Amino acid sequence: MNAKELKQVKEQLKEGHFPQWMVTDPDIYKLEQDKIFAKTWLFIGHESEVKEPGDYVTRMMAEDPVLMMKNKQGEINVFLNSCSHRGTRLCTEDYGNKKAHTCPYHGWTYSLDGDLIGVVAGNKVFGEKMDKGDWGLRPIPRVESYQGMIFGNLDPEAEPLEDYLGNMKWYFDIMLGRSDGGMEVWGVPHRWVAKANWKMTSENFAADPYHVQTTHRSAVELELTPKDPMYASYGHQVVLDNGHGINVITSETGRSRLKYQGMPEDMWPMFERNLTENQQEVFSRVTNFVGGVFPNLSFISTQSGSEGNGHNHLNFRVWRPLGPDKIEILVWFMIDKALPYEFKKKSYRGFLNTFGAAGTLEQDDTENWARIVEASQGKMARDRSLNYNNVINYLMGFDNLEPDKEFPGPGTAYPSCYTDHIARSMHRYWLSLITADMEEEEKV
Amino acid sequence: MNAQLQYEVEQFYYHEAYLLDHRRYEDWLNLLADDIQYAMPLRVTVDNKEGSNINENMTYLDERKPDLELRVERLFTKSAWVDNPATRQRHYIHNVVIHEGEAPEEYHVHSCFLYKRSRSSEIETEELFGEREDVLRKTEGKFTIVSRRIYPDQPVLTVKNLAMFL
Repeated sequence: MNAKELKQVKEQLKEGHFPQWMVTDPDIYKLEQDKIFAKTWLFIGHESEVKEPGDYVTRMMAEDPVLMMKNKQGEINVFLNSCSHRGTRLCTEDYGNKKAHTCPYHGWTYSLDGDLIGVVAGNKVFGEKMDKGDWGLRPIPRVESYQGMIFGNLDPEAEPLEDYLGNMKWYFDIMLGRSDGGMEVWGVPHRWVAKANWKMTSENFAADPYHVQTTHRSAVELELTPKDPMYASYGHQVVLDNGHGINVITSETGRSRLKYQGMPEDMWPMFERNLTENQQEVFSRVTNFVGGVFPNLSFISTQSGSEGNGHNHLNFRVWRPLGPDKIEILVWFMIDKALPYEFKKKSYRGFLNTFGAAGTLEQDDTENWARIVEASQGKMARDRSLNYNNVINYLMGFDNLEPDKEFPGPGTAYPSCYTDHIARSMHRYWLSLITADMEEEEKV
Repeated sequence: MNAQLQYEVEQFYYHEAYLLDHRRYEDWLNLLADDIQYAMPLRVTVDNKEGSNINENMTYLDERKPDLELRVERLFTKSAWVDNPATRQRHYIHNVVIHEGEAPEEYHVHSCFLYKRSRSSEIETEELFGEREDVLRKTEGKFTIVSRRIYPDQPVLTVKNLAMFL
């Protein structure tokens, strides 16, 4: 991006426009890989996925294959899933339990701590220059967790995870820290590939309840959701630190029909013990929490049910970029360990009906995400000089919505979820990252 | 297994595939028993010592008949964008192997599927493949599907959603 383009982009963002060329531009994609995915905290998995010593899962941190495993002391470590000898992928499985990992190429073996403990014919073929201590698995430079959510960062100088999450932690506490014993991942994540740009999917969850009334209108036609086109707007859109955001959707009355998202009443005293009064206030009113942690972790905590019952269900998802117009979607269904099995099962089925690869709501999202990239890759949409008014519109709430200072949670809360405040905040943060170490003269 | 039964079961599957390919989902529902269990667990990559690479603890689908009826009803709303404009799709069903079931006139049937889909004018098409394990019941000369478990072969599905029936 040259200085002139950057200046123009900055001006456009200030006006609530996002140049359409930046959605799928290959140069921008490369910048995102280098300046965002190599420098921010990326979600790897949940602590409940590696329960016992020797348990492991393999994941991708954007383009980097990683191996997360629990050692004999119960500590969870994450390494590049690549043998230090010739770079072969060390572990091919999605998950399992092993005492040690042996590379299938030359047989080098690593302990649960990532130390190199076995070199075939080592003393016979390697001399003194080879010190096994130097050739352990390469650790992901920074691995930290919050409320059981494990994140990694390739930048050794990155700020601590908790500082990065900032005021999102307060909302994580409600969704993940309300129950004694915390949350657990049910089974393994759904995984599938969709035609989409990661920014648009992140934005869809973090910043865009406005799409609900049309994208998910089939649910209105089936009388599963209210006819009122404003129904997903009620509540607050809360702009949080570092491009994060959450929508606290309630209802026209300002309250959910079911307190604590329909969670069983005998758990309420536990919630009230684990949460502050302000957190209880927000949790008691909410129907849906939907939001995101920049860059590519999103979540929705919602409820399904019939005949007056509601079953809260929560899923987290990573939009892993596979290219400017392709992502892998991973969706983890999470549930309070403390819930009775029957409730968990109903929550699980509510989740499957609505979200995940077959979810009736998610199906129509994937269709619209594909249509964005399909229509954003031509000469007009890609014109870097913006000769064709090729900017996309983030003007909702631009000059007609003031923060609600009475909102009990942290962040800047706007009294409607039909606004682009989080999206504009994401764009500003995104731009600050991809231009972070440009030369001063380029910054203009 | 006699040739007549093999013929009848295969014809039943061809008929089912025809209904699904042509979006005659309501007619398809009539092929399902009222107590049908219809599930799609996840394929995973695990060490061979685990024996199975199916993870039954997580499914993409775990449906009873009312769930499937609702899915069908949804696809015929005006705003089910995933099927509007209509999907062009083919279900290829093959390698049908039949075993006697627990009850008379009940059969355990294994088959393989290849599913292809074309959306809008996109030149890229999507596909999904794997196997199905069915329990079929024959009542008054007609088959119904009592149970279906769908096992995709891909641990990362290469379809952007699972809006189709398999």
